[in-house]
Amino acid sequence: MKTVPPIREPRPLSAQRAGLSGSLVAASLALGAPGVGAQVTPNDALQRLISPDITAVTIGAAAITGDNADRSLFSQYRDWRDREAMLRLDLDFVRREEATGTWLHMVARDLGLKTPEFRIRHERQGHWKLFVDFNSMVRNYPRTIHTGLDGAGGTNPIVSLLPASGGGNGLDLQTRRRGMTLGGETRLTPELSVDASFRIVTKEGARLFGRGFNCPSAYAASPVCSALAAGADQWAMLLLPEPTQSTTRQLEATLNYVGEDLVLAATYYGSFYKNDASRLAPTISGNLNDPLGNPMGSAAGSVALTDGLRAILQQPIALAPDNLAHQFAMSGNFAFNPQTRATFHLAYTHATQNEDFAAMGLGDAPAGRTNLGGVLDTTLAQLGVSTRPVRDLTLLADLRYENRQDKTPLDDYGRVKGIAFTNANYSLKTLKGKLEGTWRMPKGMRLKLGADHEIFDRGDGTQTDSNASISGFRNETWETGVRAELRKPFADGLAGSVQIARSERHGASYRKPNPLPLTGTTPLSDEAIYSRTAAFPVMFMDRTRDKLKLMTDWSPDAAFSLQATLEGGRDQYSAPTEKGLRDTSFQLASLDAGLALGAKARLSAWYSWSEQTLHVSHLNGYVADLKDRGHHAGIALNGSSGPRLTWGADLLFGFSRNIYAQSTDALASAANRDFLAQSGGLPDVTYRNLRLKLFSSFNLDRQSRIRVDLVHDRSHLNEWTWGYNGVPFAYSDNTTVSLQPRQRVTYLSATYTYRW
Amino acid sequence: MLRQWCVGLCRTIAAVLVLAGAQLALPPAAAGQEPTLKPAANPNLVLRGDARCTRCHNQHQSAALLPIGQTKHGTRADARTPPSCTACHGDSRQHANAPDEQRDRPNADVIFAGRKMSDVSLRNFPCLACHENDAKRSHWDGSAHQAADVACTSCHQVHAANDRVRDKRTQPEVCFTCHKEQRNEFDKPSHHPLTEGKMSCTDCHQPHGAVGPKLLRRHGVNNTCYNCHAEKRGPFVHQHQPVAEDCSHCHNPHGTVVENLLKSRPPFLCQQCHTPHTAQIAQLGGQRQGSSLQGAATDGRSGINITQGRGCVNCHTQIHGSNNPATTSPTPKARFR
Repeated sequence: MKTVPPIREPRPLSAQRAGLSGSLVAASLALGAPGVGAQVTPNDALQRLISPDITAVTIGAAAITGDNADRSLFSQYRDWRDREAMLRLDLDFVRREEATGTWLHMVARDLGLKTPEFRIRHERQGHWKLFVDFNSMVRNYPRTIHTGLDGAGGTNPIVSLLPASGGGNGLDLQTRRRGMTLGGETRLTPELSVDASFRIVTKEGARLFGRGFNCPSAYAASPVCSALAAGADQWAMLLLPEPTQSTTRQLEATLNYVGEDLVLAATYYGSFYKNDASRLAPTISGNLNDPLGNPMGSAAGSVALTDGLRAILQQPIALAPDNLAHQFAMSGNFAFNPQTRATFHLAYTHATQNEDFAAMGLGDAPAGRTNLGGVLDTTLAQLGVSTRPVRDLTLLADLRYENRQDKTPLDDYGRVKGIAFTNANYSLKTLKGKLEGTWRMPKGMRLKLGADHEIFDRGDGTQTDSNASISGFRNETWETGVRAELRKPFADGLAGSVQIARSERHGASYRKPNPLPLTGTTPLSDEAIYSRTAAFPVMFMDRTRDKLKLMTDWSPDAAFSLQATLEGGRDQYSAPTEKGLRDTSFQLASLDAGLALGAKARLSAWYSWSEQTLHVSHLNGYVADLKDRGHHAGIALNGSSGPRLTWGADLLFGFSRNIYAQSTDALASAANRDFLAQSGGLPDVTYRNLRLKLFSSFNLDRQSRIRVDLVHDRSHLNEWTWGYNGVPFAYSDNTTVSLQPRQRVTYLSATYTYRW
Repeated sequence: MLRQWCVGLCRTIAAVLVLAGAQLALPPAAAGQEPTLKPAANPNLVLRGDARCTRCHNQHQSAALLPIGQTKHGTRADARTPPSCTACHGDSRQHANAPDEQRDRPNADVIFAGRKMSDVSLRNFPCLACHENDAKRSHWDGSAHQAADVACTSCHQVHAANDRVRDKRTQPEVCFTCHKEQRNEFDKPSHHPLTEGKMSCTDCHQPHGAVGPKLLRRHGVNNTCYNCHAEKRGPFVHQHQPVAEDCSHCHNPHGTVVENLLKSRPPFLCQQCHTPHTAQIAQLGGQRQGSSLQGAATDGRSGINITQGRGCVNCHTQIHGSNNPATTSPTPKARFR
């Protein structure tokens, strides 16, 4: 048995380091400090370390180079898009009344921008708390639109054909969120407390949106939307920004009980969404372009935009309807004994959507129906038990059941080729179970084994609904997985782990959608539904999933650490077809290192490589072999020089390459084969970003500080979404969307902080 | 309340001693055969009874430890806060009693950092003793982080005045320490405003345990998304089943190169489930025009129109669901309007 060291007397102050001579202890004793172990009034230096009290104002200025086009990616969520210079203003105020533990905490950030934030919190710790929080956010669509649209962003835009693509007015879309939360909590008894919050968020602006239609269409009856005898077909695509004028209110209140062995929370949560922009109804003024970018009717045998297609394009688009949800939940845990604890959750949610169609400006509803009457009732139950039957073994079991019942009434909402169909109900039951055991073995080894099983039951579908464009449904799928993890320390400071997992998903018989104009589905065996060229939705397909992850941590000493990760996974899909999604995969290799450079500086660096693949075999004989490859790296150096100067530098690099490799098989048409051979298919999309961030902060004295921040950002996005090889993707009114592919921006900020 | 705290403290100490007695990790000398310590001669600096520790760990030698006084743990008026350093670090008698001249001073009983840090169960014990009795952390047991042996101090800086993981501007750096795939994804052009400091990981995730998958708040994927995107909740007259089921069928919320956080670019994303409009291979305006694939008579469902712009959504614009009740042609069934 180890010898118990003798108790030593407390060190005499004179024996302590010289630095202590000026310390609180010496000073206070010299002045006749209170007795042993008593709290004393600390000196200034100590006070600054232990007291949260602060009043600080940070004021300064920032400037940014370039114009909108130079920084549209960098400024997606920053209020810097239209500014070259801005005010920096932050405020901090914190007071704690030591006798009662009462805090007043006020923080304000970015007061000089359009995205200010502030939070005020007043609380007596352990008794009650009140707070108000305000934040705002912008989302600048990084691409610029050139259009002849009049009233863009409103609910009644007017479309006019531009003489040529690229002309018209520049249009920058933006949405802005402003949110305020009021909340508080109070302790009613030692066991009971209640907290509540109310949050209101408004969202304004416009986002990218549009519409298009092609004649003829199975969805639009002739002669309104009919094929032309010769020349150009009638179709059009329009860019129509979606107006956003919505308000979301959320109310949450929880009664908490903390007992000897039981923790219980009863919660009400309500979410109420209201959209003031109910519909988008454009007006098409004049003619539109044909597929080659010439006005309809200019080609021999063609005609200008027909009244039929014009009427279709002017039909109102229903925007998001008002909706709401009420949720009641009971959640908590229970300790059977120190080794065994259960967690549980029970929730019921009632969500409805019944905005009046007429009030939304939407006509032609089924006779007698004024609103959808949408009702979703969801019941959720969860129970988990974890126990430690012996010292080195932990067992966990968890069961989760969710029943989402779509109780929306069915009605006749459409007609295709003369056959009526209804809306669809999507109910879903899920049951997920988990068993897990962790065994702590000698020498620090740890083995974890787990098994998971989940069942998705989607019901038999809505037999009066039309399901065209899908090869098959499944009402039930189930997935079973097993996994293992072994962690082992190899040597002092070196540890590694390996995780391996496999799961298999299968399901009940497929149900084949009846072809238009029929509705509903017909259950069939795999042999009967088999089609060599079908595509079954991913979530219904059989799937085998494999994952492997290797990790190692090495810390040879306190100054250096290295972490390496290798991770890979593959999903293989199968269905009664030879087409559709075949497989996906994921690989990641990552290396992180940290190095302390003396006592006052630290260097960290990381590099990561990743690849995701997607392999789709299409019914018409072309095969997509997509890859998303990325290289990401960062290096950071942070430190201080002397007692006054702190500094830091971050260099971040990211490169993503999306590869759209395509090939053809025997089913491909000659035209497609020729096109692919001649064009080489779709080019890669690449994104490269290099960002340098520097900062330095210098304490002028105990109360004031200056700080300088510099950010230099270079991005290059090479994509073909909105144009390729100098040919813009032009809408039928010659509206175009563009982005400056190479962007370079420098941001410089200088602030002065005074605290007292 | 004081009584409750005293009872809790006694239980905590008792439990620590039980663990120590079980020789889970505590050094043998901590198992209790030691004489009682004499009181310290110096005053308490931060906590109510920290004098024994702060006579050495003072502002000169351990300045980084004292800002705990600026935190809620350092609020002495709250009887629930730790009465002394030993509440978390264990009694640590060998450490405290070692003679000054001893070169290798024994560690404190519970060490939270460095190569000698204690087993995760010991590190978490003092935190959970109080914080697990909180509805917000009621599901820590069995959660992904608990099962992965993540310690509270893996993320939280208990002694720091400003805990990095509780500030949305610095929180991602903490999470990215382990979640490297997400670190890469947030570096892509289409992403949620995390790296801009306008959101935090915990706006969507509950790292202390949740009922839903992926430690998501609000019980699951869609309900978490509806927190900010309530317009997608519906239900709609014409719904889109995968949308109603799981937003992450199509979106990667952390970031992608494709607009709108889409996992893949249309038409490839849509063609994983749907077959129509595929007579023409995906192609771009400006690629070779000599073939029959693009001409004045090409219909709107051309290889270009399903590939460029918004892809398939150029026409199927209300892909999240349409609430248009119109029974007239063209029916909004295919989410045209």
